[in-house]
Amino acid sequence: MEEQVGQIWHRFITRLARTEYPEAVVHLDEVRRTVGILFRALGGDGGLRVEAATATHYQTRRNWLQRIAGAAQQVELAWRSTETLCLPAQLALFPETILNRELYLWLAALAAFHPDTVTQQFNWFLANQVATRDILARFPGLRSRYQRLMEATLTLRPDPAHLPPDESVRETAIQAALRDPGSINHYPIAQRQPMAVWLWLHPEPPLLTGKSQPRKDNANVDSGDSDGQSQAAREQRKKKGERTEPPDGKSGLLAFRFESLFTRAEYAKVDRTEDEEEDLAKAQDALEDMDHITVTQAEKKAAVSLRFDLDLPAQEQDDYILEGDILLPEWDWKRGELRNNYCCLQTMITKNAPAVELPQHLRRSARKLRHQFQAVAPLRSWHRHQNEGSDIDLDAWLSHTTDILCGHAQVESGLYRDFRGGNRDLACLLLADLSLSTDAWINNSARVIDIIRDSLFLFSEALHNTDDRFALYGFSSRRRDHIRFHHLKTFKQNYNAATRGRIQAIKPGYYTRMGAAIRHATNLLIKESNSQRLLLLLTDGKPNDLDHYEGRYGVEDTRHAVLQARKKGLQVFCVTIDERAEDYLPHLFGAQHYVLIRKAEDLPKTLPLLYMRLTQT
Amino acid sequence: MSNENTQTPFYLPSGNEIKLFEHAYRHQLPVLIKGPTGCGKTRFVSYMAASLGRPLYTVACHDDLTAADLVGRHLIGSGATYWQDGPLTRAVREGAICYLDEVVEARKDTTVVLHPLTDDRRILPIERTGEKLEAPPEFMLVVSYNPGYQHAFKGMKPSTRQRFVAMRFQYPNSKLEQEVIIGETGISNEQAERLVNLANALRALKGYDLEEAASTRLLVYAATLIHSGLSMVDACRAALVEPLSDDDETIHALMEVVNATFGV
Repeated sequence: MEEQVGQIWHRFITRLARTEYPEAVVHLDEVRRTVGILFRALGGDGGLRVEAATATHYQTRRNWLQRIAGAAQQVELAWRSTETLCLPAQLALFPETILNRELYLWLAALAAFHPDTVTQQFNWFLANQVATRDILARFPGLRSRYQRLMEATLTLRPDPAHLPPDESVRETAIQAALRDPGSINHYPIAQRQPMAVWLWLHPEPPLLTGKSQPRKDNANVDSGDSDGQSQAAREQRKKKGERTEPPDGKSGLLAFRFESLFTRAEYAKVDRTEDEEEDLAKAQDALEDMDHITVTQAEKKAAVSLRFDLDLPAQEQDDYILEGDILLPEWDWKRGELRNNYCCLQTMITKNAPAVELPQHLRRSARKLRHQFQAVAPLRSWHRHQNEGSDIDLDAWLSHTTDILCGHAQVESGLYRDFRGGNRDLACLLLADLSLSTDAWINNSARVIDIIRDSLFLFSEALHNTDDRFALYGFSSRRRDHIRFHHLKTFKQNYNAATRGRIQAIKPGYYTRMGAAIRHATNLLIKESNSQRLLLLLTDGKPNDLDHYEGRYGVEDTRHAVLQARKKGLQVFCVTIDERAEDYLPHLFGAQHYVLIRKAEDLPKTLPLLYMRLTQT
Repeated sequence: MSNENTQTPFYLPSGNEIKLFEHAYRHQLPVLIKGPTGCGKTRFVSYMAASLGRPLYTVACHDDLTAADLVGRHLIGSGATYWQDGPLTRAVREGAICYLDEVVEARKDTTVVLHPLTDDRRILPIERTGEKLEAPPEFMLVVSYNPGYQHAFKGMKPSTRQRFVAMRFQYPNSKLEQEVIIGETGISNEQAERLVNLANALRALKGYDLEEAASTRLLVYAATLIHSGLSMVDACRAALVEPLSDDDETIHALMEVVNATFGV
């Protein structure tokens, strides 16, 4: 009963205290693409993802209603980091939908113009004004928009006359700066933070602060976020993060502060090195509740991550290594340089995979696909009775002349012959992602890896009967020194029962160091002399690995590898089943060079057809 | 295929390309022009042909273009066959400039006729008639292609590539592009500046959201529409945004960029 009353009261008072207009709400997802394109068009970095910002703690003056309701302690403001453009997940600040939408666009534009490093409050004040002024000068079309937004914002701001003197002076300055950007150079200091300025970027963006320590690449340090284990937070909001030194494990500290309660949001350097949340769901909940997360690099592996390393098979049970230690470069986008011989790749082949026939459930589809492919197989031949052609069709001409001599009036038609078709000269390398994430179930009966296996089968069946040459490889990785490149079928091998056996034997494991795999596949494919060479990548997620190879680093390295492959005259195309692929694949492959299969079950049947469409000229 | 020989077309150089072309012409070197679509390759060649006073044969290559289309073929008349010269043969006979646009699109057998023409032999053997034409010193072969096209699956063979003096074209810098637009259409300075500003914004999207960058040609189209009285936003939608993408969302976003430049 008490709980219920409390809930009703909470709902009532928060609604009363709310200053937003839920009926005019605009969600980030509705405008994500538009905002992204606008940001890039106005000069923003093309590698940034557009993400929902986390609400950050904001100490400002609240009215009594808000104080009673406990509302308005946090605000969602926009900011830009080296990896992301963070915008509020939703905006309902203004009573009109159109204004909220325009605010999104304005923030994206501002972020494109905003200088990179703004640390102090004063700089924030100045930088936003300067960026606003520059933007309006370069894109005068935004002026009327800014005017509208500015007027709407000013009505939300407090009246300086009702504020204490120091805040009043500052509020006047802010309002003047909004009215005439670039006019106010001095930022008056006041005790509290000013009311959030919605037209500007975040004054203190919650970037990772504190000491960042160099990662020890080969030490036993596990990254907390890996595709295989950690689940993406349910809402894709970023958490405010901070790095700190880990406790050394020797000196424990007992802290008692009777007047305040410890909460999960505070990181106390108490030595609890061994303590770990075992219930993942509970940990997930805690993660979502917290607005400030402190991460540290523990020297010891967490139990959950430990499972991976136990996964590493013993030498004698592992796949047979065909060729070891192929050194490959990796692109470091932060340094902007290619690090030579940075990755080490092993090509391997499954040991003792028994030869198998095509699985029963695929035979029908395979037969159908074979017919389809045969029907479009181009043959190079003389086409006779053509109206235009490189040569005269003597037979046609003879009968035509005879007809005329016999007195039959004939329209001249089809007297030429032409040599056409058959100029298809194509090699395709299919590279399949075999990382541990493919172990996930997509429905009651199949895992991603099963889908990939079926796709490989049907793809091979379809191509087997054409003249197109093809090769199949799979890849996974465990840090930069152990990239596994599985031979399923090379260009020289025939497609037969042994190949099917190897396809049957693929299993998920490890991570996705995509760049290195693409580089090696490129090296294999450029050795083929065919005039058209296609590198087809089949994946279920982003590039990532145990070390620093994640987020933007992985994406940029992969992008570099793809660009290099294109430069060498290869056609690179990606097929993915990752629902979130639209966030990063356009950057990786270009908007026209990937396809997202939303219903993963369809992949096996879609892939050969997709191939057919791709390669038809 | 066309034989253009009217007065000198409008062209503003963005580097030393005119001088380079003249030197190549004087020493009978074939020229390869690389550059994105609509940056002025074709215009440059017709300008050069006019200023050198040579007739120009332009062939837009496509994937069914064979050697016979370039060299010529037998045609059937009443009771007999006649040989008809192709544009390349005609250009060799007349000592004209032959321009093969998007040469990588053509079939591979065209290289057979191009190779003997592009080294020091400068001959065009016509297999079907048994003729062997020697190119006069005025004859010049110019080919162009767009290295940005990735979907074409095609590149130029190194052995063909190495027979040409190559020059690379880019979209002109902002100031020059403004002059080009003004020179072509006569719109005001300020409008041209805004258009170029918009084009540069759209070009930043190449490779991420757009396959191709907005070309100078499209800018000239937009400027033409604006000059003839259409509003800037409408003109840009018709001439810049819609030609660049088919995707609704992208078009919507590009229109936001247009609005940011010109206002609503």
